[in-house]
Amino acid sequence: MFYDLNIPYVANDAHLPRTLAFLSELGYGVVALNHSIVGKLPAQISCAIPSPLPQKDIPCKLEIRRRVTLTLTESYQNARLAELAKAYDILAVRPTDERTLQLACSSLDCDIISLDLSQRLGYYFKFKMLSEAIKSGKRFEICYSQGLMGDSSARRNLISNATQLIRASRGRGLIISSEAKAAVGCRGPWDAVNLATVWGLSQERGFEAVSKEARSVIVTAQLKRTGYRGVIDVVYGGEKLEVVEELKQGKEGGKQGKEGGKAKQNQAAVNGQKRKAEGDADGGAETAGQPISKREAKRRAKKARMGGEETDQAAQIPATGAVPAKNGEHG
Amino acid sequence: MVRIKHRYLLVNILYPDPKTSNVQMKAKPGEDAPYAMQFRQPSSDKMDGKVLFRLIKDNVAELFGDYGSGKIAGSLQVKYFSQATSTAIIRVSRDHYRLVWSALTFTTRLPKPLLQPCVVQVVRVSGTIKKAEEEAIRRARIGILRAQRASKGLTGGVLTTRKPTNGAEAGAQAEADDDIDASMIDGIEDGNEPGDVDEDDGE
Repeated sequence: MFYDLNIPYVANDAHLPRTLAFLSELGYGVVALNHSIVGKLPAQISCAIPSPLPQKDIPCKLEIRRRVTLTLTESYQNARLAELAKAYDILAVRPTDERTLQLACSSLDCDIISLDLSQRLGYYFKFKMLSEAIKSGKRFEICYSQGLMGDSSARRNLISNATQLIRASRGRGLIISSEAKAAVGCRGPWDAVNLATVWGLSQERGFEAVSKEARSVIVTAQLKRTGYRGVIDVVYGGEKLEVVEELKQGKEGGKQGKEGGKAKQNQAAVNGQKRKAEGDADGGAETAGQPISKREAKRRAKKARMGGEETDQAAQIPATGAVPAKNGEHG
Repeated sequence: MVRIKHRYLLVNILYPDPKTSNVQMKAKPGEDAPYAMQFRQPSSDKMDGKVLFRLIKDNVAELFGDYGSGKIAGSLQVKYFSQATSTAIIRVSRDHYRLVWSALTFTTRLPKPLLQPCVVQVVRVSGTIKKAEEEAIRRARIGILRAQRASKGLTGGVLTTRKPTNGAEAGAQAEADDDIDASMIDGIEDGNEPGDVDEDDGE
């Protein structure tokens, strides 16, 4: 499964289905549409990427995620970052200088740190700073499309910065994505891995960058939003199922059913109190939400057998009228 | 005694631009041909192995300069080129195939007489030309199946839009598509030629 986590999203783009179909054709399985925000955040934060997408002809095999990239300029509002993160599936930040990069690596709560590698950076990458970010789950992004489509200086900067980043991060914690504005800027996943290999990343790390690391970004981002204190998701919250009795009586009539249900419940409660060892013998069938233990199952089977034989004997008396024969059969 | 070892790159040329139309597509009235068929359309008549060779040489010279050009000059050869499927098999020396591969990745359009925007995708790297050939045949076969299904109007796979699909048809088509995907996941580099010993693995 290959991931491309940076496809710029422009509202009402007629070429979007074509780009997505091309990505799917190249072999990508999951794609993230990226909305960029520069400068001040709007007063009302909402997801700019509608879901489902309004265009027709979106390939159905492609999974689409929604992502926002916030460019960290001088003035940014740290407090509203959490709000922004909630509105999208993935939150990325784009530091513009060393100070903002330091901030992003240490204190900001984001999923991806994406730098504009086609610009000449005035600083070097330091392993300590990068590994701090990677330990907390953030990943660094290398976008290849600007260098591909752009002019010679963009290409040179991309190669130089990418090489530095790969060396400083020792190959871990990187993801590779296009930042392709059109389908022409997209490349196949193995082509991207080869580019990274030429720039110094080993083949296994390169493959991880397009598959495992990208997947971990998506999953971690999701966990941050839906998980709480180590709990990923709640499948069954332990609610008691008392609906079963009401459903049984439901066919007779609403009110009647409820009363009947209540009566049965009381009987079950009474039975339970009287015969604790039985373990809710009659009521056990009603509270079907709990699994029956093996001992209980055996008890019930025996009871059913005894009960069955009693009715059997009752039926046979008028037929045969002979007691000894009955006993003989009973053996 | 010293046998020169090669790598054979199997390459697809894709045309993502809506304006390139090398062939006239027969589509249903009111609809375009499905995207997959448009991307994998045949190349124009002016495109052939020599143009591709020139393209690679120019790109390597642009990216890697005289050093790169010198390194690959002796062993670069376009062994096979098919206009109909826009597929090519390129031979490079084993030590420098990544140079040629990245030069192919950096191509954005075909050279002078054509100037069509294109995307070059390497789908197989193999030590023998036979394996590359087999892969080309396998992919062509899958491509034909998909085109046939598309022309019959069945839905499924890349060609689908988000409409409710008939389960059986979608399943059958998904199998054909998974064929391509399955081979991609494990890696696209084949083993070496028989008798090939890998001395350098620090790539």
